[in-house]
Amino acid sequence: MTEAKDIQIDPRGYRFGAAVTLAVAVVAIVLGANTAGVIAMIIQALLFLPGATVGPQKTLQSWIFRTTIRPRIGAPKETESFRPPRFAQQMGLGFSILAVVFGLLDVAAGFYIFTGFVVFASFLNSVFGFCLGCEIYLLTKRLTTRTA
Amino acid sequence: MIYRLIAIAVLLVGSALLYWWWQSRQGRVRQVEVPGALTSAVLGDKRGLHATFVQFSTPMCAKCPPTAVILKRVASEQPHVAHIEIDAAERLDLARELGIMRTPTTLVLDSDGVVVARMDGAPSEHQAREALKTVPPPTDYAI
Repeated sequence: MTEAKDIQIDPRGYRFGAAVTLAVAVVAIVLGANTAGVIAMIIQALLFLPGATVGPQKTLQSWIFRTTIRPRIGAPKETESFRPPRFAQQMGLGFSILAVVFGLLDVAAGFYIFTGFVVFASFLNSVFGFCLGCEIYLLTKRLTTRTA
Repeated sequence: MIYRLIAIAVLLVGSALLYWWWQSRQGRVRQVEVPGALTSAVLGDKRGLHATFVQFSTPMCAKCPPTAVILKRVASEQPHVAHIEIDAAERLDLARELGIMRTPTTLVLDSDGVVVARMDGAPSEHQAREALKTVPPPTDYAI
C-alpha cells in the first residue's frame, strides 16, 4: 500500500463528489429495491470506480468540479493527500456493489442497508467534511493483520 | 414511497446527531495511568527531556497532518518537549498494546516516558496545551 508518490488534491473537490454520491444514493432509496434503484446504484458504483482504483482526482465528479466549480471559487487554501479519500471511495465502491448484488438477488433489506451506508458516509463527508474511512482504517487494519 | 422518504430523513438526522456526539469527544484530554515506560528505542525516535507527544497516524488519515502541525507548534513553545509521529498501521504492535483505536491519537509522556495523558481524535491547540500541563513539573534533581 505504500507508494512513493503522494498527490495533493483539493479537499473541496471530493466533498463535491460526496454530495453527488449522496444525491444518487438518496435517489436510489427513493426509487426502491427494484430495477430503477439497482440501476442508480450501478451508476454510483461506476462513478466510484476511477476514484477507488486510481484516485479521487480521476473521477467524473472531480472533472465537473475542476471545470465548472473551481474556476468560480478560486484556488484552495489547503490541499490534502489523495490517499484517505481513495480509501473512502474503495469502501463506497464495495458498499455500492453489495447493494447492487442484494438488489439483483431481490433481497430488499440488503439493498437498503448498503445503500444506507453509502448515504450515511457521503452525507457526513459532504456536509461536515468528516472522513468515515479515516476513522475505521486503523480498526480494519487491526482486525485483518495478525501480530508480527 | 413515503416510508422511504421518512427513513431517509431519520437516517440523515441520526447521522448528524452521531457526528456531533463523536465530534464533541475529539481531542478530549484524558489523564491515564499506564504501567511501564516507553523508551526512545521502542518509539523509534528521541523522547523529550521534559515531555513527549507521541502521535499515532496512518496514511489514510486526513486530520493527521494538521494535528502534527499543531503538536509541533505547541511542543516548540517550551524547552525539552518532543513530538514523535508513529504510523500505527506499521506499528500495529504498539497500537494494540496501547489500545489505539483511531487516528490521530496522541499520548503525552512525562520525562521518564510514562504515559500520563491521551487525546483520542484531533486536538485543538488549546487541548494540546492542556494535555502538556498534565505532565508533572521537573524536580530539582532533574538538573
